[in-house]
Amino acid sequence: MTTALRDFIKNPTPAELELVARYGAQPEDSRRERAFLAFAETGLPHRRMEAWKWTDFKAALKALETPAAASAKDPLPHEGALVFRFTPNGFEAPVNMPEGIRMVEQPGMQAFPGAENVPLGALAAALSGGGKRPATLIFEITSGNLPRLHFVFSGSGQASFARIVFLIRSGASLNLSESYLGGAGLTSTVLEFDLEQDTAINRAIFQRGGADEALAVTGIAHLGANAEMTQTTLSFGAKVARMETRVVHQATGAKLNLNAAYLSGRGFHTDITTNVRHGAPSCVTRQLTKGAVLDGGTGVFQGKFFVPRKTGQHTDADMQHQALLLEDGAQVFAKPELEIYADDVECAHGNTCGALDDAQMFYLRQRGIPENQARAMLTEAFIAEALGKADDSVREVLLAEAQNWLSS
Amino acid sequence: MRPMLKITDLSAAVGEDSEAKTILNGLSLDVPAGEVHAIMGPNGAGKSTLSYVLTGRSGYEVTGGSATLNGENVLDMDPETRAAKGMFLSFQYPVEIPGVPVMTFVRTAMNAQRKARGEDEISAPDFIKKSRDVAKTLNLDAEMLKRPVNVGFSGGEKKRLEIYQMMMLEPKFLILDETDSGLDIDALKTVADGVNAMRDPSRGMLVITHYQRLLDYIKPDKVHVLAKGRIIKTGEADLALRLEKEGYDGVLGEAA
Amino acid sequence: MDCCGGTTEHEDDCGEVKVKDSIDAKTVEAAKALESENYSAGFSTTIETDFAPKGLSEDTIRYISAAKNEPEWLLEWRLKAYERWLTMEEPSWAMVRYPKIDYQGYYYYAAPKAGAKYASIDDVPKEILETYEKLGIPLREAEVLLGVEGAVETAAEGREKPRVAVDAVFDSVSVATTFRKELQKAGVIFMSISEAVHEYPDLVKKYLGTVVPQSDNFFATLNSAVFSDGTFVYIPKGVRCPMELSTYFRMNAENTGQFERTLIIADEAAYVSYLEGCTAPMRDENQLHAAVVELVALEDAEIKYSTVQNWWPGDEDGKGGIFNFVTKRGDCRGDRSKISWTQVETGSAVTWKYPSCILRGDDSVGEFYSIAVTNGRQQADTGTKMIHLGKRTKSRIISKGISAGKSDNTYRGLVSVNRKAVNARNFTQCDSLLIGDKCGAHTIPYVENRCASAQLEHEATTTKLSEDQLFYARQRGIAEEDAVALLVNGFVRDVLQHLPMEFAVEAQSLLKVSLEGSVG
Repeated sequence: MTTALRDFIKNPTPAELELVARYGAQPEDSRRERAFLAFAETGLPHRRMEAWKWTDFKAALKALETPAAASAKDPLPHEGALVFRFTPNGFEAPVNMPEGIRMVEQPGMQAFPGAENVPLGALAAALSGGGKRPATLIFEITSGNLPRLHFVFSGSGQASFARIVFLIRSGASLNLSESYLGGAGLTSTVLEFDLEQDTAINRAIFQRGGADEALAVTGIAHLGANAEMTQTTLSFGAKVARMETRVVHQATGAKLNLNAAYLSGRGFHTDITTNVRHGAPSCVTRQLTKGAVLDGGTGVFQGKFFVPRKTGQHTDADMQHQALLLEDGAQVFAKPELEIYADDVECAHGNTCGALDDAQMFYLRQRGIPENQARAMLTEAFIAEALGKADDSVREVLLAEAQNWLSS
Repeated sequence: MRPMLKITDLSAAVGEDSEAKTILNGLSLDVPAGEVHAIMGPNGAGKSTLSYVLTGRSGYEVTGGSATLNGENVLDMDPETRAAKGMFLSFQYPVEIPGVPVMTFVRTAMNAQRKARGEDEISAPDFIKKSRDVAKTLNLDAEMLKRPVNVGFSGGEKKRLEIYQMMMLEPKFLILDETDSGLDIDALKTVADGVNAMRDPSRGMLVITHYQRLLDYIKPDKVHVLAKGRIIKTGEADLALRLEKEGYDGVLGEAA
Repeated sequence: MDCCGGTTEHEDDCGEVKVKDSIDAKTVEAAKALESENYSAGFSTTIETDFAPKGLSEDTIRYISAAKNEPEWLLEWRLKAYERWLTMEEPSWAMVRYPKIDYQGYYYYAAPKAGAKYASIDDVPKEILETYEKLGIPLREAEVLLGVEGAVETAAEGREKPRVAVDAVFDSVSVATTFRKELQKAGVIFMSISEAVHEYPDLVKKYLGTVVPQSDNFFATLNSAVFSDGTFVYIPKGVRCPMELSTYFRMNAENTGQFERTLIIADEAAYVSYLEGCTAPMRDENQLHAAVVELVALEDAEIKYSTVQNWWPGDEDGKGGIFNFVTKRGDCRGDRSKISWTQVETGSAVTWKYPSCILRGDDSVGEFYSIAVTNGRQQADTGTKMIHLGKRTKSRIISKGISAGKSDNTYRGLVSVNRKAVNARNFTQCDSLLIGDKCGAHTIPYVENRCASAQLEHEATTTKLSEDQLFYARQRGIAEEDAVALLVNGFVRDVLQHLPMEFAVEAQSLLKVSLEGSVG
């Protein structure tokens, strides 16, 4: 069978062959096959694909290998949270679950629509499961009063895949945090969120990986009437890291706050990619992405608002991306995109990219603040803006992590 | 008595090497401690350049002469070192610093200056008390001090915040660059009261202005006329009134 | 259209080439019958034409080269491009959809039968002169003094008449170039590129294909193989070109592609302002236009390139119209050089066009000012690329897109800053205006920054035509369509300011015509 599977991908790399073999080892399942074929259509995404022109997984990930470095320490607090742990081969959940949350460990594959848009999400869906890990982990949330759910992805190994689905029932809300701590050569997760009407989710993502790891976090959310989603990402990147979020406003009055901060040091590549579809009238999106990059580091921002004809009327959407190149040798690539087919809309985007503002630096120094301190102060304030909407339980930690990186 | 600020034959240019343009051209000026000197001049005379050169903004190249504060040459110092030595510039256009609350900003500045001078940091309660007192004098809303520096402030609020910082940091030498621009008469009076409260035998001030109006409220000991990069006339406070009446052309014509 | 009226001071020049009034009237009448409601340039001219054999092959290229009596090196250059083109694929990334182009279904060369070159303007077939006359193109030097149509009635009235030298291209060949003698006195070379190949082979050889290489992209490579004619301009060191230079392109023959090639060189400290205008008759089938424009600015030189593009956009159902696939690029090769593109795009069924600047010299400056209007079923994917290579290079992009009807209008741009381009600066502003709920407005900017001291800023907005403003204007008695034109003119004002006066006037009336029927 593996021989036939080889043909799925044209001129496969050793890493792709290994992925094909892993697929071959999974139980046969037509849904799984569809998801894998969606991945195999292109193989590991590469620079000749428009959506991946600045983030080339094929080039970065030649073979699936266990990295030398261990996982990073998890800075997000575990106290008071329901903690779920994923490792390359294992999965652990709290023994007792409070009322208002139901967890189902699906051994079989759930259908995965839209797989062709997210090749690495499709890969995660096709290869999650096996051993102690559920193919699809499903949560049904029916309460507005749950403790924070915290997911930790860590542990060493060649590759780690997970697929998690959240069904947030009408009137319920969820406080969610995720820590991606590295350890696997390739980590790919896909999280799906279905928000019914009058629901809310506050999602925080902390990501820190090794310089020889590849990571893709794919989030897909559908927002019902008056649903509100707030997402805050702090990403330090990896050899190549893609934090991708796709949101569909499905019913009137939905609101999205989509914020991210990326900090890329030497040898690190961080990609923040978002796609928001205003598929219902009178929905609001506020998006702010901030980045700071050092010598030898790369930051990528790709944002897209899609406003369809008729259904997208009265859209109110704003996208801002601001990046600081802190040293020579840093690079930042950005593509803030608007595709609009409805006329009664207010859509705007802005993009700035460069060094710290000279006038601000002088103002601080004129007041007696030394150059290094002035630079740190301005940069921290710059980044902090993107983290302000994170839940109280994690915000200070995210700010402190960003500050530590900037002052080291 | 040795002057507090002594500027001797100062020349400076702005811009990159190939397109450098001389703005200050042999400017000399002495300001003793305890005195307030006004510098007046037409647009483009080099007034703002003088304030930036004295405080060390990049992009201005000193091509000759010297400037000393209490005998120390300041022109080779970093901006922050000059600030720690007591030099304060009230900006014509105060800069917005998103994400940095006023209180955090001023406390950081105060402690950095103290550290540079080998003094102890101010304690949090002392700082808060001082801030409250100063804010009261200036009629500043406490909420304003929690907001990011100058972000969303009106022109008048920005200028009052400059005076707040001045009173908090208690500098030895003040440079006020067009502090009256964009102020209505009430705001102007508040700002002037703040500045006058800072007058002290141990403190010097340089008030840079295009109009005489501000000098009704801040009475100068001397008035200097700056034109074409140098001081071309010096007089008592009444010189400002003459300038107002006769215009720069009249006075300059007489000097030339 | 009045050829000579109003220019009393140049009656002599006018008399030389006067076209009989009767002919004039007849042509206009005939054209009227063919004319669509909105597209006043939509008539065709009946003249005998020499075609190359239909379709594209090595023989076609040899035919073109032989017809133009070209030197061997140029034939080889063309053949090399053709060979390369055969290996290339038509790009599909732009947000435009159109039926597959049958490259064998076009004529690649069409020339008026009387011969491509005319010793003097008197030898130009009168049908062609009439065509240009109908288009309001100032071919005759006397009329030139009036500037472009419309200018006379409005702003130009009472001020010194602008002087514009014109090169007119009819299908594949240049038919007339005006003011040549006067330009020669200043040392300015302004002629068709076919003539330049013979008269200034060294200059052409030195610069041709150095800004847009033969293998640059599918359409540019096609152009390199089959380009027919176009304009050549050389401004010598230190010369400020004494008048604006202009080319008018006219596609006439059926099933004909137009592949002109323009090469403009401003030597050290030279200055030139160049205007380009385009029209084509209404035809049901799609005509192909794949031009290449190359600009070279040496040290301290400045080139200002303005375009008003009014190719036939097709009818309301999307039938016919020009496929406009154009590669325009300027190379700021010398320090402190400057290239400025200004374009008003109202025509073509499909536009695929990105006038770009390579900012190679230190302190060089690139500018792009654009108004793109789409209506009916038009599709435009247009923008610019600013490639910052030199130190302290600056670029500025102002793009105004207006979508109406069932059209799609996309801004696509790239700002790229090389690691060595210290203190580079870019400011980009892209505004889109939607008129009606069946059109689309899209903004796709790419930013690639590899230099820490660079400062790049991009702003974009998308809004609809304000009902409040529209009502306010109408309440004051302004008809709806005039009110739309008024508001749209306000929306694009930043860009109109950068057009030479004669063009600005023409552009304003074009905007109005293009948007007719877009409301109500």
